[in-house]
Amino acid sequence: MAPSQATHVPNLDNLIKSLNSLPLEASIESLIFLLKRRQVTGDECAKATAHVLRQVVAKSKWNDVDQLLSRVQSAGSRLARAAPLEPVIGNIVRRVLGLIRDEASEDRNVDDLASEAASDIQSLAPSAPSPQKAAPAPVRPPPTVVSTGLQVSKSMFNLLSVAETGDTPVTGASTPLSQAQTASVHALRSEVMDGIEEILDEINQADDQIAGFADIQIHPGDYVLAYQPSRTVERFLVKAASKRRFTVIIAGLESRNHDAITEPPYAALRKRLNAAGVNTINLASNGLMAYIPRVNKVIFGAKAVYQNGGLLVDSGCCIAAQAAHEYLKPVIVLCPVYKFCPEDPSDEVSRGELGNPSSYVSYADGPEVDALEVENTVTDYIPPELVDVYLTNLGPQTQHHLASILADHYKTEDITLGLALQLGEP
Amino acid sequence: MSSKQGGKGGAAAGKAKKPAKAGTDEKREDVLQAVILADSFQDRFKPFTLETPRCLLPLVNVPVIEYTLEFLASNGVQEVFIYCGAHSESIEQYIRESLRWSPGSILSPFSSLEFIRVSDAHSIGDFLRDLDKRAIIAGDFILVHGDLVANIQLDAALAKHRARREANRDACMTMVLRSVGEQPHRAARARGITPVFVVDPTTGRCLQYEETHPLQSEHHLVLDPAVFSHGEFEIRSDLIDCGIDICTPDILALWSESFDYELPRKNFLHGVLKDWELNGKMLFTEILDDGYAARASNLQMYDCISKDVLERWTLPFVPDSNLVHGQTYRRIKGGSYAEDHVVIERGAKVTQSALGRGTTVQTGSVVSRSVIGKRCKIGKNVRIENSYIWDDAVVGDGTSIFHSIVAGSVVVGANCRIPEGSLISFNVHLDNGIQLPSKPPARISLLSDEQQRAETDVSLVGKGGKGALYQVVTEEEESDDEDGVKRDPAILQSSLIYSLEGLNLSTSSISTLASEDGYGSDDEISTAASLQGSDFGQTRDRLSSFASDDASKPDSFHADAVSGLVDALRADDDDFDSAKLEFMGLRLANNASDSAMRRAIAVAFVRRAAELLTPPHGALEPTRAAERALAAKAGAVKFIREVGVGGDSVAQQADFALAVQKALLAVKDLEPARAGTLLAALLQQLYSLDVLEEDGILAWWADERAAEGEGMNKLREKCRVLVEWLENADEEESSEEEEEEDDDDEDEEDDD
Repeated sequence: MAPSQATHVPNLDNLIKSLNSLPLEASIESLIFLLKRRQVTGDECAKATAHVLRQVVAKSKWNDVDQLLSRVQSAGSRLARAAPLEPVIGNIVRRVLGLIRDEASEDRNVDDLASEAASDIQSLAPSAPSPQKAAPAPVRPPPTVVSTGLQVSKSMFNLLSVAETGDTPVTGASTPLSQAQTASVHALRSEVMDGIEEILDEINQADDQIAGFADIQIHPGDYVLAYQPSRTVERFLVKAASKRRFTVIIAGLESRNHDAITEPPYAALRKRLNAAGVNTINLASNGLMAYIPRVNKVIFGAKAVYQNGGLLVDSGCCIAAQAAHEYLKPVIVLCPVYKFCPEDPSDEVSRGELGNPSSYVSYADGPEVDALEVENTVTDYIPPELVDVYLTNLGPQTQHHLASILADHYKTEDITLGLALQLGEP
Repeated sequence: MSSKQGGKGGAAAGKAKKPAKAGTDEKREDVLQAVILADSFQDRFKPFTLETPRCLLPLVNVPVIEYTLEFLASNGVQEVFIYCGAHSESIEQYIRESLRWSPGSILSPFSSLEFIRVSDAHSIGDFLRDLDKRAIIAGDFILVHGDLVANIQLDAALAKHRARREANRDACMTMVLRSVGEQPHRAARARGITPVFVVDPTTGRCLQYEETHPLQSEHHLVLDPAVFSHGEFEIRSDLIDCGIDICTPDILALWSESFDYELPRKNFLHGVLKDWELNGKMLFTEILDDGYAARASNLQMYDCISKDVLERWTLPFVPDSNLVHGQTYRRIKGGSYAEDHVVIERGAKVTQSALGRGTTVQTGSVVSRSVIGKRCKIGKNVRIENSYIWDDAVVGDGTSIFHSIVAGSVVVGANCRIPEGSLISFNVHLDNGIQLPSKPPARISLLSDEQQRAETDVSLVGKGGKGALYQVVTEEEESDDEDGVKRDPAILQSSLIYSLEGLNLSTSSISTLASEDGYGSDDEISTAASLQGSDFGQTRDRLSSFASDDASKPDSFHADAVSGLVDALRADDDDFDSAKLEFMGLRLANNASDSAMRRAIAVAFVRRAAELLTPPHGALEPTRAAERALAAKAGAVKFIREVGVGGDSVAQQADFALAVQKALLAVKDLEPARAGTLLAALLQQLYSLDVLEEDGILAWWADERAAEGEGMNKLREKCRVLVEWLENADEEESSEEEEEEDDDDEDEEDDD
């Protein structure tokens, strides 16, 4: 009863649930406001963007690839602008654009196959390339048959409604050519939606894939400093704990000024690590420096990795990275590939986002509220020279290999999405 | 088109899901509804609200109602009802033209948004009674004001409210309050009236509600004795009342029952809590220590909230979230926010401010902790500090503006000086070189209070200027949308800068106004005033006008109650019950204390008795007069015993005797000796009627208050015989003796 009552507040799950029933414009808009109100943040942004773009592909009206590209671009840039400090949104948009371009060129190559697609869509499914890792196309495990079937029925419906609304002068029954065209549109639509499904899978699996490298990175007897462990880092540590004996120092505890009546920070994580026989130490932020000599490596998660190798992280990480750098301790950043951003950090990124001062000063404390100017930065920018290893779901990388990862995942035409951001939309 | 098509596709795809979803919807109590009160029936924002409703005034360049709507949207509210009063057309127009909120728009996060106009509404109470009649509220709903800025999540409060309501049907409202700590706080300072909540800390139940403000004379609150029966309770004055109430529909029925309640807190909350035994309704509080919630309910709160928004306490409702369509705020250096097309020339310095689209700040100017609207032109070498400048304003070179509000399209000439607290309303023009007065700060408007164009005051705004001093409406002219007591603190709230300094000077004038206006030469009141004065001590006894400055509440009760009772005693018929009923009603309406009731009853009976001594009414002997006054009406004695004395304790009886004594002292045209005799007769009569007991009278005799001052002492001396007799009397004293005493009294009187 209780959880069902707490669902008045809009969140990502509610949005995803309601996506099918909402008109397209409304679902874009509601995500924009969830982003603006910070009711969807961090990793959720990627997922939400993919879901909404899938709706764009499924529901918006387009007759050829260029129209589809521009639809996705405009929706995507609106989303990206809603949260300038969530670069993953732009990344997902770029990925989808790249996906569409790939599928389109493929379709042109195998035109005859596409025209047959109208009669048998499912024959296309196996034709989808499923190369892993090194392949230029995004990672995509083959879609399950069930989901493909579902897609088909949906796109069939859309196909009919396109014809009904009389969008093109030629109706569905006129010439074989237009039939072939609608068929190819139809095939492309389901292809792209499958592709987005795969991106979603990739997002969901990334944490586990990264955790798969845990035993390579963490050695027995290590002292690992985890700064504000994110969900990715937690999974990584727990996985490592199943294979290795080491010690985790958890730093960067939330500095709430109110006396926390709730659980001690990261209690759940500590419980799981202890259960696996790994010792944990909670460290107040100001004790960080003193422990660095004892530490073997520093691990934290990133919100985004920029083209130059710089990181957008939660605030405080920079100090840990700097400290580790001074003591020549390796800094390992856990960062799935979808967070790699083919841009350079903007001015706003280096300045950091400002949060609510209430994390440091209670609003109830009158004199302080009046006298102090509290700037609570919630993000940090870490320059590339402080980072040693980027541990992605494709394996560990160094700064010098970032360019190739970016090239693999994004099309050069889409990198300027940032530019389109400013020019697009009146 | 595309959306239509999409809708179809979606409908097909979601077909399987829909019934299931509807089922869960029903289970979780339909949809969340909210009611916005977009008119507060106050004029604290005048002169600005002459042209624009309060909820459309820009707060950090965003109309206030946007914050409220966005708050509701962020809490998943689906149906919204907006009650509009003044300027309802402009509010409706604004909402309808807005891309996001316009009803029926697919972008709107609400499934429905309706406007409700009530033609003859004069208070919030009228709105809510109307809401009750309409029966559009299905379940729990959120009641907010149209000037709310909050970023809190109501989930927890809603869940608690539901749990309570399911446990007990009478738990029908949860008020969301924000604690601001005990230290001085700018938000607390801004409110003028301090709400005081008496709360049970374990359950959060609100037991009593009072309001205090610096201008009241009684610096104390009277706790309802019922409060003590709850065991533990807290008295909290450190709360900001952000006006968010989670209500069940029962609450509306309560509003309908009490047709004279106007204000949701002062009248309604106070009244419902007071009559808890009658209505059995329980109201709860949810006190937040986290998050932000406040109402821009007056200019000082406006100031405070604007600062909080700039300092990001209200996250995510900060300029660079760009929640309003078309806004393009970015953070720039100096802790400021600027939209696109803002030009800050080299040499200009902008710190901790927000600048709207298309605004230009020319070289040499300094803008700090201020908000400047869209398309404003700020000249060279201008200083703007802590000020709010709305859209399209022009500020000439070399002008300084400190802690003021300059409304839209105002033109301020060069080299002007606008000191702290000035309010310059829409379209006013100030000529070059104008120095506005600082004490009191000027309010300049083109319109007068009756929406008429005011005559331009050239001495104030200069030859090329437009606008005149806006007169703050004085108490007498003010429409009666708030009752008398609230008027005084309203002065505190109508200025931008909270200051008691200027007001202390004017307190005396307020009180003289009140005493002339309300009470005039009515002798009943002068009695009341002096009586009350004597309660407070001898020094104030002489200053009867001073005594009446403590607002009108006890006095009006006293006057009404006394005149009602006296009329009933004079009346020929034998019906005292209706008078009694009326008296109790008055008492509840005014929240009169026991001592006030005692005083009123004593005065009423004494006055009647004294009246009977005079020729037109029969010129009776004191004994007969006392008897007639007390016992002529059936039920009167019982009334005195139960209400006047109010208990069996000796102290209460002594107090009543004292009240009788004081009342006699105050009666005019009665020589002290005769008054003394009458007192003795009254006391004796009360004794024989079993209203006062022996102990009570003796306690009164021993009480030194009874002997204070010459007049009192004289009266007291007259009763010596009675007291001595009482002291000596045996329990079995026969009625014969009493007769004797009566004779004695009469003898004495004859001697005099």
